[in-house]
Amino acid sequence: MIKIEKLSKFYGQKQVLNTIDLAFEKGKIYGIVGENGAGKTTLFRCISGLENYQGNITSGYKNLKDHLGLLLTEPFFFPKITGSEYIQLLANARQIKLTNMEDKNIFDLPLNQYASTYSTGMKKKLALTAILLQENDIFILDEPFNGVDIQSNLIITEIIKQFKKLEKTVLISSHIFSTLAATCDEIFLMKNGEIIRKVKQADFSNLETEMKNFTIGNRIDKLELK
Amino acid sequence: MKAYFLLQFKMGNRRMIDFGLPLLLGYALLISAFLLFSNYLFDNTEFANYIYGLLALSMVSKFSAYARNDFLKSIFNKKHYKRIRLAENIICCIPFTLFLLYQKQFLFCILLNILVMLLALLKFHTTINFTIPTPFSKTPFEFTVGFRKTFYVFPIAYLLTYISISVGNFNLGVFAMLVVGMVCFSYYSKMENDYFVWNFNVSPKEFLMLKVKTCFTFFTLLNLPILIALSVSFLDEIEILIIFFILCYTYLATMIFAKYSDFPNEINISQGILIAMSFMFPPMLLILIPYFFSRSIKKLNTVLHD
Repeated sequence: MIKIEKLSKFYGQKQVLNTIDLAFEKGKIYGIVGENGAGKTTLFRCISGLENYQGNITSGYKNLKDHLGLLLTEPFFFPKITGSEYIQLLANARQIKLTNMEDKNIFDLPLNQYASTYSTGMKKKLALTAILLQENDIFILDEPFNGVDIQSNLIITEIIKQFKKLEKTVLISSHIFSTLAATCDEIFLMKNGEIIRKVKQADFSNLETEMKNFTIGNRIDKLELK
Repeated sequence: MKAYFLLQFKMGNRRMIDFGLPLLLGYALLISAFLLFSNYLFDNTEFANYIYGLLALSMVSKFSAYARNDFLKSIFNKKHYKRIRLAENIICCIPFTLFLLYQKQFLFCILLNILVMLLALLKFHTTINFTIPTPFSKTPFEFTVGFRKTFYVFPIAYLLTYISISVGNFNLGVFAMLVVGMVCFSYYSKMENDYFVWNFNVSPKEFLMLKVKTCFTFFTLLNLPILIALSVSFLDEIEILIIFFILCYTYLATMIFAKYSDFPNEINISQGILIAMSFMFPPMLLILIPYFFSRSIKKLNTVLHD
């Protein structure tokens, strides 16, 4: 279980996370939704230990990050490193011995080509494959469906469902509500660095309608489209 | 075109300010360091011309980056693009040209400027999707990436070793060994994204030791042909060879520790100056190594834990 208490984060004078209290249980899938700049990525970076913060983040692990697979919104790649070397690099970092990498290439990526030449979606799939092979207990997936084709979207959704069966904890941020509704046990709505709503599975459909009404409202009418 | 170069000048100034250097002091330091280094090079080696040329070309070649040129082509017409590329390459080469003229190396000076202009006009990018094989695939990334970027240096170094043995010039052989050392040294000049450090489940000390171990192993592998060939051919000079080899190890370790001493930021100018000074006065390493090591441990502690 990961417990977050009074988590705050400032970038200079600007407060990007405001006294957040959350708890993530083992074997559950959590969705985080919110506008761009709401603080989702910063929250993930704080949980991962990539950012300093105020407040407490505790878990049953001595070092949470050593059991955590982090998929960044825009994964970073070195210029002359192949797909398989990228996977190897992340496995080496966790002292994982990889076997039959080709068989585990479920997204059919051209692993012998330089990763920097991959398309956005392929990069995302490569980064996801690498963290999947790290044998983590907890996964933070920041926009895992962004730029990914429909077939891979289905595979990722199934992987997340599989995680639940394997008692893994997963935190996902996404702008595609349907994928969150299909996989999550609970969704947190973030706005201006705060968690403004916590919604259980039974209320997902209400949340979607609410979000639509709140977000869209009469904005489009203002365009006076003809 | 004027606006472009003004913008480049502003960007350069911003970089210096980001390093924490006032502009005047920064430029004064840069010019002094360049003159000191150039003087030192020409006073101490017979191959200064070649090293100087290689340095100038490697600096200028950064302007040839594909993405950068693609961007320039998209905003300037063909004529202006070529003018800009020629001008920036020649401007970047001016300090080297002036020093070569001062050294009365007229032929080298002309040759260097011709090469620099060719670099501006020729397109080196290939659309062939070819992955350069590397013996370091299993342990990415420094040597994997570095080897692919500089693979052509190694045959040249091995050829220099062969020539040194053929003509009985031990110094040329040592130079070849140092070239490999300097190339490996350059693999550690850029800071990786903090994500790749964060991923390691080891302590900062173990992380640094892992990096040093990988670096020493692969450096030895690349330098072994030179070392063996020179040891056999110049048996009387083996002590000097060993000293230079140990020096290479020491500088490589220093570079690794220096690299992470300001993590997640790049090596700053003051650290760069300290490293440059240590090349002129190697005993400085006795202070620099523990200094960079302890700073790296402290900085890495932000993402790695004991």
